[in-house]
This record gives sequence, structure tokens and C-alpha cells, in this order.
Amino acid sequence: MSTATTASPWRYQVERAFSSNIAPIVAALLIVSVALSFMSDVFLTSSNITNIVTQSAVVGIAAVGATFVIITSGIDLSVGSNIALAGFLGALWAHHSDSGLLGIAGVMGIAIVVGAFNGFSVAWLGLAPFIVTLAVMGMARGLTLQFSQGESVYELPSTLNWLGSANFAGLKVSAIVTIVLFVLGHLLLSRTTFGHRVYAVGGNADAARLAGINVKRVVFSTYVIAAVCAGIAAIVLVGRLDSATPNAATGTELQVIAAVVIGGTSLFGGKGSMIGTLVGVLLIGVINNGLTLLNVSSFWVQFVQGALIFLAVLLDSFNTGRLKRAATS
Amino acid sequence: MPIVSVEGVSKRYGPVEVLDGVDFSFRAGEITGLVGENGAGKSTLIKILAGAETPSSGSVELGGAPLPGTTGAVIDAGLSVIYQELTDVPDMSLLDNVLLGNLSSSRGVTRRADNRRRAQAGLQRVGLGHLDLRTPIRELTISQRQLAEIARCLVRDTTVLILDEPTSALPERDVETLLAVVRTLRDEGIAILYVTHHLDELFDIADRVVVLRDGNLVGDQPIAQWDEASLVRAMLAKELGQAYPWRARAVGAPVLVTTDVVARGVRGSSVHVDAGEVVGLVGLAGSGRTELMKAIAGVESGVSGTVVVDGQDVRTGSIAAARAAGVIYVPEDRKGEGLVLDASVRSNIAMGDYGPVSRRGVLRGAAMTRRAQDIATKYDVKLGSVHQDIGKLSGGNQQKVIVGRVSEMAPRVVLFDDPTRGVDVGAKSGIYDHVFTLAESGSAVVVCSSDTDEVLAVADRVYVLATGRIVGEFTRSQFDREKILHLAAGGSAASERSA
Repeated sequence: MSTATTASPWRYQVERAFSSNIAPIVAALLIVSVALSFMSDVFLTSSNITNIVTQSAVVGIAAVGATFVIITSGIDLSVGSNIALAGFLGALWAHHSDSGLLGIAGVMGIAIVVGAFNGFSVAWLGLAPFIVTLAVMGMARGLTLQFSQGESVYELPSTLNWLGSANFAGLKVSAIVTIVLFVLGHLLLSRTTFGHRVYAVGGNADAARLAGINVKRVVFSTYVIAAVCAGIAAIVLVGRLDSATPNAATGTELQVIAAVVIGGTSLFGGKGSMIGTLVGVLLIGVINNGLTLLNVSSFWVQFVQGALIFLAVLLDSFNTGRLKRAATS
Repeated sequence: MPIVSVEGVSKRYGPVEVLDGVDFSFRAGEITGLVGENGAGKSTLIKILAGAETPSSGSVELGGAPLPGTTGAVIDAGLSVIYQELTDVPDMSLLDNVLLGNLSSSRGVTRRADNRRRAQAGLQRVGLGHLDLRTPIRELTISQRQLAEIARCLVRDTTVLILDEPTSALPERDVETLLAVVRTLRDEGIAILYVTHHLDELFDIADRVVVLRDGNLVGDQPIAQWDEASLVRAMLAKELGQAYPWRARAVGAPVLVTTDVVARGVRGSSVHVDAGEVVGLVGLAGSGRTELMKAIAGVESGVSGTVVVDGQDVRTGSIAAARAAGVIYVPEDRKGEGLVLDASVRSNIAMGDYGPVSRRGVLRGAAMTRRAQDIATKYDVKLGSVHQDIGKLSGGNQQKVIVGRVSEMAPRVVLFDDPTRGVDVGAKSGIYDHVFTLAESGSAVVVCSSDTDEVLAVADRVYVLATGRIVGEFTRSQFDREKILHLAAGGSAASERSA
């Protein structure tokens, strides 16, 4: 009888990596990248790679937050509308006051209020996340259109634009911020008690509650984290375009959820990783970039993204089903 | 001529042999009782008969032909199972429930008059003919819904009816109604397999009793040749006392004192548990034993009365407040409420108890691993590594992880709700061994189980519960199984209360 052998953890981590969805998606990223490097001379140039990262910044930043929400088996459909509403109102205030800092505070404030509304409705009112955030998606977009009357805001203070447009040491600041947020998100998720609670709540909310975890507070926090990320994404987007338009980030929620799910985070909750999300974001970025380089119609881009989500969910359901059967036998 | 014959049926899940060469048969117009401990293989046998599982070896015949391989085909062949939990659709009407999946129609349009007549006929046979077919089934009582479920089987021309613990959710007064219906159906020529923990019900209605133990068939006789003692002996194979390592313990001052606790399912319960004591709660399902535990541990809200731990009032309705006072509830549904099955053993041990493995909110991976390994060693958990998914351990080992996790928190009061549910006999005594060690360290321990004999075997003192009230209290030297079961079943409580 061997009890608690000191077998090194790597074996189980390798095993887990293969039984989760990360391995196939890393393989997919490599295959697509290799294929594109043969099909296009431009693909592997450093300027194109920088381009991919910069283009992926908004989706990537929002996906960091969405990973937390989806691990609790929640979903946030309002992220695109939240980016538009917070970005527009913040830009409007910055435009009128000529204060970039006021604009940044405005963007973050609005985004967090929207996120807190989502979190409160899901955690304390017990409403279904899908419905709540679908409703908020409509409300936020409607408010944006009403406040803007369909008009964009231009001539923004440079402080507000810095995050989305400046360069630092030859790199876009937005790319650096994206990477920093991924690192922070990874550490928060894998190295802190908060991250452990997020997994526990997603894995089995009843067990987590009986183990003394404040499930409602954890769920609420994940929607606020998602909103903070949406706010930062909004600042990056406004800065990159040097303007705020009411139709900004339409459909972004689809790309964000696609990236997270493709990255191996289970829609059933309890499983997932920030590294997976990063790979998912890169895969979507590379495919978008490749389709553009190969002059494929942008309509196909949407189709491919949809097909990828379908494949990811299929894989997720297959893995989860296998686990459930193993657990009940 | 038997209508169902089980021949040499074995079933293995991985290395575990759940059924081992079971042979028996039952006939039309006869009630065959099936008994066995938890984990004896009863539910697996039922699943096989229902077509939900295929045996690893052996065969089952239904009416002379091999049993079909799917649940749907088994029902069509005339064998229906009534499960412990209701399987009706609460918001649909009585009519729709009785004819669930079985509405007759003509080119897709339901034939209303014909359907009403068939449903009415089925309900008549179970004594529910007087009910309005349009009533939403959620408005009926539990026992009426159970009878409606039987009616659903009858409408499908069932010739073999398997009832799995049909009375476990019923109030005492409705049990007799159900038994009467079962008797009527037998007299109409239906073959009935009646699975239960309640031996008295078997002596009431069964014609024959079959006993399973550890996956083997160990007894098969007409009811007249059994008595309660011989049945228990057949089920357990040894005298009760030896199965559990009870030992005398020094008992200290009161740790947990509750006064007039009222909650959903609990009516005015005052109990006390002393340091080092193991107190059992005895009661049938629905007697309020789980509800009382949950009320004490802050799991249920809307609790009145007081809960005092070590002289300090504990705010009710808050898990956080209860845990701060050292009160921990270990749920009966280990897989549903106790563990995150697809997380690692290490992770499950850390869950909700981050103090020893973190510093200012940052987890220390090495400390998590070391702590999990220490607990696994100390509590004899058989595992490959603390990094493997806890869902892959056996039920007994999962439960040892939980007992270890709880014990290492140095709790004041631990409430174990059916701690050996679904655990094999060998692991049971191991689990109780650790529970006794926990009590010896000065914690107050409360235990309940679906198996009353088990509680009597391990407890120093028991409270008997019926319909949410405490109706009796006995210390170990006064344990009288008959009297306690009589009280639990709602018998007279007069003059039974002893200190």
C-alpha cells in the first residue's frame, strides 16, 4: 500500500494538460502559424507579429476578465456594450473638460458600475448570468446610442489616448498592458486563495459554500473583474482610434467568449487557465490576420470564429462527460 | 414459472466487484422482498433489471426472453421501476404525468377521450380515481404523486414492478396506503420486487425475501422462515458490535448546547453534546435529522432558538459564523455537496481552509502539497498522488479525505451527516476509527445515518427524532433497538424519555 507517495507533480500536470483542451489548441496555433508562414511572406515578419498582438489587445484584455467569470460557470455577454458605453461617456467628459484623467476615471467608473450591476443580479438576486448580461448588453448599447445620438466624439486629450496609441521601447503600450494583465490574471487565478475560491465555486458551488466560502462574494467579484478589464479595453480602443463611437466593440463579446472557450475554459465551470485564454486569443488573432493576409473576405472570419467555438464546446462537453461518467461509476 | 430470472449475474466497475454471480428469480402474483446493507449491490441489481446497466457476466431473462438492452425497451417489455425520488414533471397535470410519453394520438393529434379513459383506469387501480385529471401534480401530496407514478407504469401494461425504497419519503400514515396498493397489484397478478430498509414492511407484505451482502446472494426463503434477527444476521454476517471499533472515552463539559431550535423540518429541538462525546441522531428519512444538523451549522437560514458553543452564542443562519465558532457540517451528499470531483486531492483539502497554506492571500504550493500528503498518510487514504483528481478515488477514500480535512481544523463541533453512505463495509470501520480519534481530542461529534444500527453501534448517546421533534434520548447502556425504532417510526413517546 503506497499512501501519499512523493511522486513528482509534473506527471499529473502533463496528464492534466493533455486531458484538458490546451494541448489540441496549442497544436492548432502552431499548425496554423506554420501553414501561414508558408502561404504568406509577410506573416513571420516582426512588424506583422506586433500587429497581431496590437490587434488582439482589446479582445485579449476583455478575455482576461471573462476567464474569471466563465470559470465560475457564468458568462458575460455585456462586455462589448460595456466597452462602448464606458468608452463613449469617458471620452465625452474628457472632450468637454479637456482632462484625460477625468476621462480615464469616467471610463473605469462607468464600467465598474455596469459590472457591479451584473454581479449583484447574478450573485444576490440569483438571476441567470446569460439573461442578466444579455439584458445589460441591450441596455448599455441603448444608453450609448441615446447619449451620443449616433454621433462620435473626437479631439480627445492625449492622456486618454496614451494607452491605446503610444509606443514604449519599440512596442505598443497596449500590447505591453495586455501582456501585463495576462500575467496578473494568471497569478491571481493560480497563486492566490481568491483564485482557488473561483475554481471551487465553479467546480461545485454547494461544496464551496459548505466549506465556508462566501460564494456570492466570489461570483460578484468575477463580474467586477470582468468590468475592470472591459474598462481598460475601452481606454485602449478609444486611444487607438482617437475617438469614441457608439457602435464600438459591437460583437466583441463573441470573440472574447470564443477566445476563453477555445483556450480550454469549461462553460460548465471549475476548469480553465489564463494561459489557455492567451493561446485562444492568439489563435483568433492569427486566424484573423492570416485571412486578411490571404485576402479572404472578412465575412469568412466570422464564420471561422463561430466554427471554432463550436469545436471548442464539443471538445469541452466530451471531456466533461467522460469525467462525469468516471465519477459516477 | 418465474417471470424474471437472474442467472449468474456479476458486475464489475474497474477492480471493484459490485455483484458476484447472483442467481434468483421472481414470479407473477408474488411480492419478493430484496434487502441488503448500503453498498450490498441492490441498486446495481435494480439498474441491471431496468436495462440501465449491462452485467459483466451472466444473463437476465424476462418472460422467457433475454432482457432487452435499453431502458426504453425494458419498459416496453413490461418491466417498470419506481425509484426513491419522484420522476414526475411537477408543472404538468395529473393526466399528462400518468400518460407521460404514452399519449395515444391519431396522426399526431392526441385522442382526448381515449387518453382520459386510460389515465382514469390506471388511477383507479391505485386508489386515486377520485382526483381531477387536470390538477397540476405539484399540488398533490408526496404519496399521491408516488401512487400516480405507479399508475403511470400500470397504464403501460406493466407485468413486473420494481419498487426501490418506495416508503422512504412518505409520512408514516401514508405507508399503509401504499402497502395496500402493492398488495392489490400482487393479487391482480403483477410480479413485484420490493426493495427496502424497513424490515417491518417486509414482514407485512412480502411472500419471499432475498438478501444481498457484498454483491453475493446470501439468503432466499419464504417470509415465514425469516425472523428479524436472522434477516439482520444474513445482511451483516456478524454481530453488530464487531463491525465498528467503538471504545469508551472520557466525556468532558458540554460543548454544544441548543435550545428550542426551530427551522424548516425541525420543531423545537434542544440537544447538548459534550467534549469527547459521539452523539447519534436516529430517525427515518424526513424526521429532521439532516435539517437539525444544517440548522446548527448555519447552513439553513430562518432558524430560531439558540445555538451555544463553549458558552458563546453563535449567530444562526451563517456558515461563516458557525465555522468561526468551530462548528463544521459534513454533508451526506459527498459528491454533490462535499467535494469538487474534478479538482485534485490537494485542492480539495485546501478548499475553504486557506490559513495553513497561504500568506496574505497568496497560496504556497509546497505547503498545500505537504499538508495534503500529511493528511493522506495520517488518515490512511489510498491514492497515487495528492495531485490526482479526487473523483478518481473510491468513496471510502474520498470520505477519509473529508474526515481528515475536518479533523485537522481542530473543530469544536463536527456534524457528520451519513458519513458512510455508499462506502464499503471495510472502509466504514476505518472512517469511524478516525471519528473516534477526533472525539478523543476533545471535539463534540454528532453522527446520523440512514442505517440506524450503525448509529447505535458507534454512538455514546442518541437522540431519537420523529417529524422534526426529539422524541427520545438514550445513553449507550440503555440502547434498545426495538424501542428506539418504535419511537422513530412515530410510536408513543410517553415515559420513554430517560436521562
